[in-house]
Amino acid sequence: MYLGHYLALSCTLFGIGAVGFVVRRNILVQMMCVELMLNAVNLLFVAFNRWNIGNLDGQMFAFLTIAVAAAEAAVGLAIVIALFRLRQTVQSDALSQLKR
Amino acid sequence: MQSVSDWLNTPGKLAELSLALVVVLPFVGALINGLGGRVMDALMQAFFSWVPGVKSMKPGESSRGAVVTIAVGAVALAFVAALFSFFTIWRAQANGEPGQLSVYLYHWLSLKTPRGTASIDIRFTLDQLSGVMALVVTGIATLIHIYSAGYMSDEPSYARFFTYLNLFTASMLVLILGDSLPLMFVGWEGVGLCSYLLIGFWWKTPEYAAAGKKAFLYNRVGDFGVLLGMFLILAYVGALDFKSINQAASTLGQAQLAFNGHVFGLSIASLIALCLFLGCAGKSAQLPLFVWLPDAMAGPTPVSALIHAATMVTAGIYLMCRLSPVFLVAPHAMAIIASVGALTAFIAASIALVQGQLKKILAYSTVSQLGFMVAAAGVGAFTAGFFHVFTHAFFKACLFLGAGSVMHAVGAHGDASLKELGGLRKVMPITHATFLISCLAIAGVPGLSGFFSKDEILLGAAMSSHYFTFAPWLGQATFAVLLLTAAMTAFYMFRLYFMTFSGEYRGADHGHHDEGHDHAHDDAHHGHGHGAPHESPFVMTMPLVVLAIGAALVGYLGTPHFLHLLPNYWSDWLHPVVASAFGHEAEVEGALSPLVVMTLGTLAAAVGIFFSWSFYGSGEPARTVRNLAQSLPSLRVFLEDKWRLDPLYDLLVIRPAHTLAELFALFDRIVVDGVLTRLSAALTRIAAYLLSRVQTGFVSAYLALMVLGVSWFAWWFVFPHAKVAVHNEGDKVSYSVGRGFGYLTRMDFDNNGVYDTAWVEDPNGFEHVFDDQARGDLVVRVTSLGPYHRVREFRLGDKLKSAVIDAKVLGEGWQRDKSDNVLPVVKLKKNQVVLIPNAAVVGQYDAKAPAQEMILRRGDSLRIGRAKLEVGVAVHSVLQVKNVFGYVKTKNIEIHLYRDPSLDKPNAPADDEVPGLAEQPRSDEPKDAPGPLALNSNLKVGR
Repeated sequence: MYLGHYLALSCTLFGIGAVGFVVRRNILVQMMCVELMLNAVNLLFVAFNRWNIGNLDGQMFAFLTIAVAAAEAAVGLAIVIALFRLRQTVQSDALSQLKR
Repeated sequence: MQSVSDWLNTPGKLAELSLALVVVLPFVGALINGLGGRVMDALMQAFFSWVPGVKSMKPGESSRGAVVTIAVGAVALAFVAALFSFFTIWRAQANGEPGQLSVYLYHWLSLKTPRGTASIDIRFTLDQLSGVMALVVTGIATLIHIYSAGYMSDEPSYARFFTYLNLFTASMLVLILGDSLPLMFVGWEGVGLCSYLLIGFWWKTPEYAAAGKKAFLYNRVGDFGVLLGMFLILAYVGALDFKSINQAASTLGQAQLAFNGHVFGLSIASLIALCLFLGCAGKSAQLPLFVWLPDAMAGPTPVSALIHAATMVTAGIYLMCRLSPVFLVAPHAMAIIASVGALTAFIAASIALVQGQLKKILAYSTVSQLGFMVAAAGVGAFTAGFFHVFTHAFFKACLFLGAGSVMHAVGAHGDASLKELGGLRKVMPITHATFLISCLAIAGVPGLSGFFSKDEILLGAAMSSHYFTFAPWLGQATFAVLLLTAAMTAFYMFRLYFMTFSGEYRGADHGHHDEGHDHAHDDAHHGHGHGAPHESPFVMTMPLVVLAIGAALVGYLGTPHFLHLLPNYWSDWLHPVVASAFGHEAEVEGALSPLVVMTLGTLAAAVGIFFSWSFYGSGEPARTVRNLAQSLPSLRVFLEDKWRLDPLYDLLVIRPAHTLAELFALFDRIVVDGVLTRLSAALTRIAAYLLSRVQTGFVSAYLALMVLGVSWFAWWFVFPHAKVAVHNEGDKVSYSVGRGFGYLTRMDFDNNGVYDTAWVEDPNGFEHVFDDQARGDLVVRVTSLGPYHRVREFRLGDKLKSAVIDAKVLGEGWQRDKSDNVLPVVKLKKNQVVLIPNAAVVGQYDAKAPAQEMILRRGDSLRIGRAKLEVGVAVHSVLQVKNVFGYVKTKNIEIHLYRDPSLDKPNAPADDEVPGLAEQPRSDEPKDAPGPLALNSNLKVGR
């Protein structure tokens, strides 16, 4: 296992997340894709930290990301619930009020 | 307080303070009334509403007392201060000191000119000339302010009127006392503005507003001349204060106007005099700009008296007297000025003969009298002209105020028709007496002021033949025209007098007014409830009496020398500051003797008055007027139409301007509003439509776009970019390569396929010196040596075998012979450059012999025409940039190598002459063998 492998895995995960985020219409799935991208970055942080001996910055950032992701998930899910109560749907296509 | 009294006890400080106060006081009055007039009125009204038994007041009524106190007080105090200052310089002159008082307030601006820095200060100077003028202005302004208090008593905008009047007085004083042309110009524009505001005082009547506009625009034409004159003075004198200008007068008189070495026979002084005279013609209502003044009678009568008779309109004559030395050295300009003055006097008098309105006649009379003054200045009798300014101020102000008093009495507004007046002698004894005195004075009846001043002018015209040496008849012609005009003056003034004061009152019914004033100011006089005509109140008759006394007596200040009646105080007083075309007490040989001139002048007045009496004073006026009218109907109509000047200007100036404006408007409508506006609007709309398609409102669409954008940025940052700037001096080339994130760079300087550097992270500091073996196409560079920097570069190779060098880069006079215009050509022949000079001069600039074809090599340079020709070589370097992913970008850099100029420096001449050209061949530099055989001997050969 070299750094390249980690990088490849991370890029793949990020790509899946990005594509899924764009293609899927279910907001819950899109949020999962966001989580996927965040975790791809986490993996990158930890992997790079392995080559940065005597320093734990990368791992610290991974924790920070996890914390932010948790907060984001909480806020995001709350918004999704509010939206569902308002529109009876969680399809992002149905939400085009931004146009107006 | 101690320091203040110390300061005041310093000699001269009190006089300086009083001089500053002369200008500042009216301005302060205008500020208080202008900014606080309404507040004051509101406060007073509120106060009076508390007082029981006071009936409700109209706007402007309650604060009237306060406004008048401030306005009249300010001007009266300014008069006192002016008197004090005047006596200070009078005493100084009596003690043999220079009669001048000057107060410096602050430095305004510095103008850099080729003749040094002109410092323009806010400085007021009271000398003999400005002292008299300041006294006249403040004195008459005080009287007219007092008169206005009565005359305008029914006016709602009372405070506004007095604000303008005070502001006018302040501006006029700046004009008079300003020490330099720019400061005078401030006052000049200020009085113009106040004139405009006061003519259009009853702006709700459209004709009055139009009259104000007309006055302003005609004055603008003149102001343009003053500005031009000022610029000329700045250019040729390098200073703008009157003292420096007058000191430089003789230099200006000798300097000739020249353009590109061509002399026009016009001295700079003449040009300056004509430019300034254009301004004087505007302000002092001379041909061709006088038509605004009669229309200016739309303003209230006190305004006509103060601004359009006594003070502002004389500003032009004042300016000419101020700069009399400059005008005096420009006799050709003076001839024009004298002619314009005499013609204006005559034309205006002829129009005044037939006018039917009280103030119109007085207005044309003013124009005519201003013509007298200008003619006096034009024949070089500045003192006489200014004397007439002085006496005219008294009798014309008195006449206008008398006319105002008459109009007040009969309830006329704006102007009164002579047909509805008459017989007022009995009901208005004071007005009648003062009016008669002023009429006698303006007609030039011996013993009254107008007689003396008009006589001086006539005398000046009669003596001017020796001043106009190029046209001696001009003086006599001016004299004759002015004499005729004097008779006409007497005629129309007494026509006015007889039709107003003698006979029976013809005003039919007292509520009736001759012109339609049914607007804002209507209630001003309608509400008055006029019964029969009556004498005006004391505040109005008092100024009349004072002015009439002045009109009768001020002439004795300037009695002619030959009468030995009194010393001529006037010319003695003005002698230090006003130049003259004549000696101090000269009698000119061959001219009419002063006594004859005086007799002729008196006769003219007598004839005019006699005819007037026989037409209007003796019998039943209506019939005689009709008879006169019937005898010469077409002339009468022509004169009533004011010589048809307004239609003429309409045809000459206004119509063409309108046509031009309409053309531009058409262009504006079709091109700007039509094509350009619609086109840009359509483009914007299309772009907006297309872009709005992007705004779907779907979050996922926005996300997709965002991902695309971020990807593009990522690609841009990672993709290698090769940016390189090359600097070369001769064969030594330094490269600066742009750096990037994670880039590695290497270079192959000489393009031989082998990279000369390893991959490096920091690409700065790449340098390479090319040797003689560097290969590439030959390039020819031609650089202009002339005033323009032009460069042509030809790269001779497979694509371009030969090139013509154009004449622009070769510069003026590149040919040996003007008739031969065949341009030089460079050709590529067997890897060498061949220059075919054709008609061009090559090498030595004065070479006359045709040059042969020459073979040039890399590094050669020579002079061709007015340009430098160099031969160099185009070499290539290759730059490679690699990013972290191993992606490599290759860039080809072309560099033109010419001879390194620094190599020539040690032996080069100090000026940057082309190396090796037009100079001796260098012996210390060995020529490389074999040199091109066809080159000139002084041409350096390539290394």
